[in-house]
Amino acid sequence: MLAQILASLVDGILLGFVYGLAAMGLSLIWGVMRVINLSHGAIMALGMFGIYLTFTHLGLNPYLALLLLAPASLLFGFLVYGVAVHRIINAPYLSSLLATFAVNMMVIGIGTAVFTTSLYNVDFSLGTVRAGVLALPGTRLAAAAAAVLITAGLYLFLYRTRPGKAIRAVANNRAAAALMGIPPAQTLALSFGIGTLLAALAGGLITTFFPFTILSGSGYQSKSFVICVLGGLGNPLGALLGGLILGAMEGLIPIVLPVSWVPVVEFTLFVLILLIRPSGLLGART
Amino acid sequence: MMSTVLEVQDVASGYGEVQILWGVSLRLEEGKLTTLVGSNGVGKTTLLRTVTGLLRPWKGKVLFQGKDITRLPPHERANAGIALVPEGRQLFTDMTVAENLEMGAFSRRAIAHRRKNLERVFDLFPRLKERQQQKAGTLSGGEQQMLAVARGLMAEPEVLMIDELSLGLSPVLSLSLFETMRQLRAEGLTILLVEQNVHMALAISDYAYVLSEGRIWMEGPAREVAAREEIRQAYLGM
Ligand SMILES: Nc1ncnc2c1ncn2[C@@H]1O[C@H](COP(=O)(O)OP(=O)(O)OP(=O)(O)O)[C@@H](O)[C@H]1O
Ligand SMILES: [Mg+2]
Repeated sequence: MLAQILASLVDGILLGFVYGLAAMGLSLIWGVMRVINLSHGAIMALGMFGIYLTFTHLGLNPYLALLLLAPASLLFGFLVYGVAVHRIINAPYLSSLLATFAVNMMVIGIGTAVFTTSLYNVDFSLGTVRAGVLALPGTRLAAAAAAVLITAGLYLFLYRTRPGKAIRAVANNRAAAALMGIPPAQTLALSFGIGTLLAALAGGLITTFFPFTILSGSGYQSKSFVICVLGGLGNPLGALLGGLILGAMEGLIPIVLPVSWVPVVEFTLFVLILLIRPSGLLGART
Repeated sequence: MMSTVLEVQDVASGYGEVQILWGVSLRLEEGKLTTLVGSNGVGKTTLLRTVTGLLRPWKGKVLFQGKDITRLPPHERANAGIALVPEGRQLFTDMTVAENLEMGAFSRRAIAHRRKNLERVFDLFPRLKERQQQKAGTLSGGEQQMLAVARGLMAEPEVLMIDELSLGLSPVLSLSLFETMRQLRAEGLTILLVEQNVHMALAISDYAYVLSEGRIWMEGPAREVAAREEIRQAYLGM
């Protein structure tokens, strides 16, 4: 019994790293430009199909394919920003909700036309890693490691590079940043691109252990919302921690309740946190 | 030979439907310390926001080094050499003192001079050097004002505009900041100072504008303005 609990917990936490990675994208975009990106899930689905296509048709190793997915999704993020977000960046929240929702519908619509809504999977395995009582799928370990690396990369970028610091400055005080000569539109586009990249990479990592459809993104998007509320919206590192908490819950809840209760518990928690601690368990940053 | 660095021509501006500025003109001469004074709410900050491009004028022009910059966005104006130390400081509170200074030197023109300017601001404000790794939001009010001025100087500005230099600061610190202004002026920097402390502002400035109800009500060499009966009564309490 104890061994089972431990195994579920570790399994869930490993998954949580990937959830956290996805949520970081959502959180970053909110933190920098106060836009709730409702195309987040659709972009994760695009990431999934990106890995699927390169794996199935080009025979590319999924982890190598992530290196292609990264620039592609960054560019896609610039495009979405330019087309749908830039013009309404100073409008009330409802405008950006609707604009990103429209992008979501377009991506899902085109995706459904191309891929239908049937189930796909990437037939890739790294075997099983045994450690004591634990038997962990290699792909989950690799995905967690990749998520940690990408997070570290994000932090190095935000804290050590000039464009990264510019993003933090714009997030902190957009008008003051403009007074310093920081170009607002470029910086916002870059932030949106990076948020998109994080979502796509998380989607890509998920394909190495779960099957998916073009609609799968919406479930993960909801999880990202729960995680952002756990970790404090606008705080990317909090998002990673929130991801771990959610992952652990997903590992443990099925031991005591049927699996279908997982979202019920998650969203109960979501509402409770919103009511009791709206800044998030770990506190929001501006 | 005097040359005009920045010129505001007949600018009208406001917020929404509310007009605040009703045709304001002023000039900043190179290497001079100019002050803009006026009671609360007359539109001093609004004028500075128009000069930096944060606010679009309804009519009129802003010229910088002879070029019309009225349509230029704020970050381009910063690149051209216009720096503002804004009212309320507007620091990057989540970033460290060092990062705030680095952001101050973000513009193309400033980046090459970063080393030199950093030494200069640490010379002027040794306090900031000690607190480089501290988050700007945790500094005391006085230290925050030093950082705001220092961040403005990091921009290698052609014109440094300061909105409320001494507001909320102790008399000792205010005095030392006024002294800093005098020193910067002696080094040849062109400065526009907006100040509540009209007495001090007129004492250290070369030229003064008095704004009243969105219009320039009086202008002249600071010493002459300070001597005017209306000014002594209205602003100097004499
Ligand atoms: N964002 C805004 N929206 C609407 N009205 C504004 C806004 N900012 C300022 N005002 C109004 O414009 C007028 C001029 O304000 P401004 O800040 O330019 O005055 P000021 O001369 O700088 O005053 P103070 O000495 O108090 O700083 C005020 O009546 C103010 O209420
Ligand atoms: Mg003001």
